[in-house]
Amino acid sequence: MARLPLEGIRVTDFSWIINGPQIGLWLAAMGAEVIKIESQVYLDFSRLNPAFRADGNSSVNSNGVYHTLNYGKKSINLNLKTPRGKELAYELIKRSDFVLECYPTPLSRRLGLSYEELRALKRDIILISVSLLGKTGTEPADWVGWGPMACSFVGTFDAQGYPGGPPRHTGGTWPDYAIGTAVVFHLLAALRHRNRTGEGQWLDASMGETVIGETPEWYMDYFMNGRDRRQWANRDDVMAPHNTYPCAGDDKWIAIAVGNDAEWRALCAVMGNPEWTRDAKFAGQSARWQNSDALDAHLREWTRGQQHIELAERLQRAGVPAGPVLDSVELHQDRHLWEWGYWWELDHHEAGKRVLPGIPARLGNVPRFNYSPPPDLGQHNFEVFNGILGLSKEEIAALTESKVIY
Amino acid sequence: MAAAALDDLKIVEYAGMVSGPMCGKLFADMGAEVIKIEPPGVGDEARSHPPFPADLPHPEKSGLYLYLNTSKKSLTLDPAAPRGAEIFKRLVRDADILLENHPPGHMHRLGLGYEVLHALNPRLIVTSVTPFGQSGPYAGWKGTDLIEWAMSLTGYNTPTLVNDPAAENPLRAPGRQADMMGATTAAAATMMALFHREATGLGQWVDVGCWQAVVNTAKIEMAVYSYAGMPYSRLRANTKAGLEPSRCRDGYVYVLWVVDSHFEALKELLGHPAALEADLFNDTAQRAEYDDALRPLIQQELLKYDMDWLVREGQKIGLPIGPVLTVAQAAEHPHLRARGAFVEIDHPVAGRFRYPGPLVRLTATPPTARRAPLLGEHNEDILCGRLGCSREEFAGLRAAGVI
Repeated sequence: MARLPLEGIRVTDFSWIINGPQIGLWLAAMGAEVIKIESQVYLDFSRLNPAFRADGNSSVNSNGVYHTLNYGKKSINLNLKTPRGKELAYELIKRSDFVLECYPTPLSRRLGLSYEELRALKRDIILISVSLLGKTGTEPADWVGWGPMACSFVGTFDAQGYPGGPPRHTGGTWPDYAIGTAVVFHLLAALRHRNRTGEGQWLDASMGETVIGETPEWYMDYFMNGRDRRQWANRDDVMAPHNTYPCAGDDKWIAIAVGNDAEWRALCAVMGNPEWTRDAKFAGQSARWQNSDALDAHLREWTRGQQHIELAERLQRAGVPAGPVLDSVELHQDRHLWEWGYWWELDHHEAGKRVLPGIPARLGNVPRFNYSPPPDLGQHNFEVFNGILGLSKEEIAALTESKVIY
Repeated sequence: MAAAALDDLKIVEYAGMVSGPMCGKLFADMGAEVIKIEPPGVGDEARSHPPFPADLPHPEKSGLYLYLNTSKKSLTLDPAAPRGAEIFKRLVRDADILLENHPPGHMHRLGLGYEVLHALNPRLIVTSVTPFGQSGPYAGWKGTDLIEWAMSLTGYNTPTLVNDPAAENPLRAPGRQADMMGATTAAAATMMALFHREATGLGQWVDVGCWQAVVNTAKIEMAVYSYAGMPYSRLRANTKAGLEPSRCRDGYVYVLWVVDSHFEALKELLGHPAALEADLFNDTAQRAEYDDALRPLIQQELLKYDMDWLVREGQKIGLPIGPVLTVAQAAEHPHLRARGAFVEIDHPVAGRFRYPGPLVRLTATPPTARRAPLLGEHNEDILCGRLGCSREEFAGLRAAGVI
């Protein structure tokens, strides 16, 4: 196997659910040794969520959410509520490059995972704390919440939605992933800094702040003009048509985005140049933008009844930016995602053969990342407690008996 | 002054609009020298995009451009002109990273394909961030942020729970979140390539598609199908991972009750209404199954209380509940202001404004944004200072429209 970029790097990983695990996943896929600290005292909810059981199997080792976010890692049992458990976690931290955690602030404080405490253990440690709205500041620093709550706080839900309607939820748990790649970039910069200077640091990552920094038009319009962009739907600042339109079938749609006259003429040609396209209301990009509601009404009549994937292919062949709104089955079968190398196939001892998403980037000299199976709960206890921390078989047995390794 | 983590890196950014420039900004704010190549005359297309102060278009005043291009140097250059291509090659000869976001094949047609650049500088990392990546059936497709977002399950899933699908068409997230996912994915992957180079001495080609990056934000919804065999549907929202905001007396709150302990906290907050105590709602799976019955009951109770009270008292007992704020309310929120989530930047033409601050806080090497460059501001510095062009050559390049 070709060399992976992060071989020799060790991560003590306290994170759970989505955002922290997605960061650990990148690091594990790129060759770092990511040791996930888990405990039956409070299991990662992604081992339990009933909606994702592999064909109904309720084993903590076969849950789809856990698999999709934790392959390539190691798992140990450690009960952090016992003094010895905490000591062992600290011993592991002394032998690590990174510590990753995404607990609510009060819990990480109780567990002794502040930067000051960890820096006292290992001077050059890099601590990554991922949270809803940051771990310093006013009361929201102590809040509990899930990724989407960051969106509700920074205006995304309010800016979402249909004109005149209520605020709406933005797809799934997208902010958990948005902060994931942003943190991976910055933690590698921190690692580079440590390698050059011997200095560690603390990354205090707020999902809310990541979303703010990734919504510049909304914030800059407010800062420049005092304008609060609310219920913006699919409106673009320049393009029209720019929307999703209904197609044949159950909840099927196509997205079309036209940015200039050439694309507009191409769209008209695919439609067979109907009479209405010659209306002065639609002559020129800015006229179409002004009259986009009327334009959308015509387009909806045309797309309705057509097959979403076939129509998108036809428009693309004519040079019109268009794409089908794909569902989970269509994405699993999508030829582009397979050929590009996004999916990989897991053969798991409990869950069987499953298709999982890989890292959405290709590196020319790293033909395959570390896609080893997600760990069973505590699968690496002996390897870590004996191999890294030097405990004997007898000590490990005693610690298991006393529910420290639990 | 705090240290800059990446101040030894030299980057050439041949990219416009959002995906490539956002990636370049992350490096530039961390101290890397980023030379941004812009088309002579008009510059980066983002210069023509709103918002503008007082809505008056001006190439040096686009809020989008000013934010995405902090801490960079601007060089106007046309690599399609022979002299332009030659200057381009001289720039990448001693660069660490070339960042580009042109359609696949464009660089090759300019004679600046990966093989050519690799031969010039074997340590060079070339990062290409495009709508769909460099190969596969959609590689030649035209993408825009809307197209890439809508084609992902996250796009289909916005809004997340719909009552009347015919009237509620899938929406784009505010901003350009497919471009942004592409940008941060490209930045992370490029850093991986740098670590790989430290071990092997060789650069490589990094290929990122914005669509793949945003498809990757729906991993859980995909697992419902690949593990539980249930196609994901926004008509059922069968993961219950995302719910819609709920109305309260004076606005909206966002509250989740997936986990048992959270549902218990919600009942406590609402004073244990009898209807919520039904056995039907005892665990995660049952609450998902009887969601249609449960949701209106909770909604009815929430309407009795104000947003601030619900959030304050709910958070006290460990309930994930937050306010639904507007962008303007968030921009003035004491918590975000106390954390310095916004930074003030002065610009000689556009003026002084607040900007969104760094995506992530770093204590020892904080990302620091300095103002965006004027179009071609660094032409002379780079060409005469760095590359040793004479005054006459410089004047000749300008006259020929190469710069």
